[in-house]
Amino acid sequence: MASLTGALPLPAYGGRVAVKTRVDYQNSQEGALVRRAQSGDDVAFGEIVERYQSKVFSIIHGIVRQRNDVEDIAQQVFAKVYFSLRNFDFRSSLITWIYKITVNECFDYLRKKKVRKLVYESDLSEDEVRRVENTEPSVDRQAPADVSLARHDYVLKLLARVSEEERNLLMLKEVEGHSVEELAEMTGMNENTIKVKLFRARQKLVKAAQRLDRAPGVVAG
Amino acid sequence: MHQVILDRLEDHLSGSPCSREFTSHQESCEECRGEAQEMKELSGALLTLRAPEPFTPSPGFYSQVSRRVEVQRPRSLWSFVWLEPAFGRRLAFASLLTLAILGSYLITRETEYSAGPPRPEVIMAQQAPADSTDTMLATLASYEP
Repeated sequence: MASLTGALPLPAYGGRVAVKTRVDYQNSQEGALVRRAQSGDDVAFGEIVERYQSKVFSIIHGIVRQRNDVEDIAQQVFAKVYFSLRNFDFRSSLITWIYKITVNECFDYLRKKKVRKLVYESDLSEDEVRRVENTEPSVDRQAPADVSLARHDYVLKLLARVSEEERNLLMLKEVEGHSVEELAEMTGMNENTIKVKLFRARQKLVKAAQRLDRAPGVVAG
Repeated sequence: MHQVILDRLEDHLSGSPCSREFTSHQESCEECRGEAQEMKELSGALLTLRAPEPFTPSPGFYSQVSRRVEVQRPRSLWSFVWLEPAFGRRLAFASLLTLAILGSYLITRETEYSAGPPRPEVIMAQQAPADSTDTMLATLASYEP
């Protein structure tokens, strides 16, 4: 199977002819709002925040799970949206673009948190590290009581091993429940391109899972 | 993975009913069945990233975002010299104008100096050979205008 997968990296998806329906985001009502915000209208930006804050909060809460940090990350997401809005080119819908920024910000947060933990541990002596590990639940070395949390961490580890684009597509498809047709519409890509990208992402995920399962002390969930 | 599975993989993972072709191939090809199964399991695992419960933003969230935007806003050159951008621009324009006026005044003065007839001692100094300093001094001493 693995050899066949390697030999067939590019599925042709020739069964059906997918029709690409490109949505004109620029001339929509949302497009007008974005253009106002792009020209420096703070009221329009406020409307964008108002419109998408609940969605952003729920994405962050799903990934990070730390209620205390959700609001902080959400603020950072909208600050990034504010500063990058001038570069938004209407190739995708605004929410797809905000979704991408949000997911990247969450993974950035998790990466920084991991680095901070490593730096903190490197400053401690071996005895102190052992003491901290005994008092804090560690996902890497011992099975946490909550199986769903362990599964959540396992999935995050897998997703950290694929590219940003693959991660976003997988999340939009599996977590948000969008169909391939909707993804094509949202991203401005061809349906077949979406299928190929999803297939490659899934292949990488399977390989990452196999590698991670072989690693000692990892809970697969 | 074989083409027949690849074509309908996304439908299969979404839980849509599989075609007879898809099902019969899966039954006969163990490798395709195994890989599709692995992908299905991971697809289900991704559902753990759905938010466990709705999270309501605090009422003052937008003002917090505005504050953060102000803190992170890149500082302009003027802010480093404690100037308002408009006043800074006027000051820069005035400085350039002064510089231009001063420059043109100096150039005019320079022209006035060079426009007059050369003084005799300058001509003599230019004409005299470099090593005859004594001769030149004697000539200058005996010079009567």
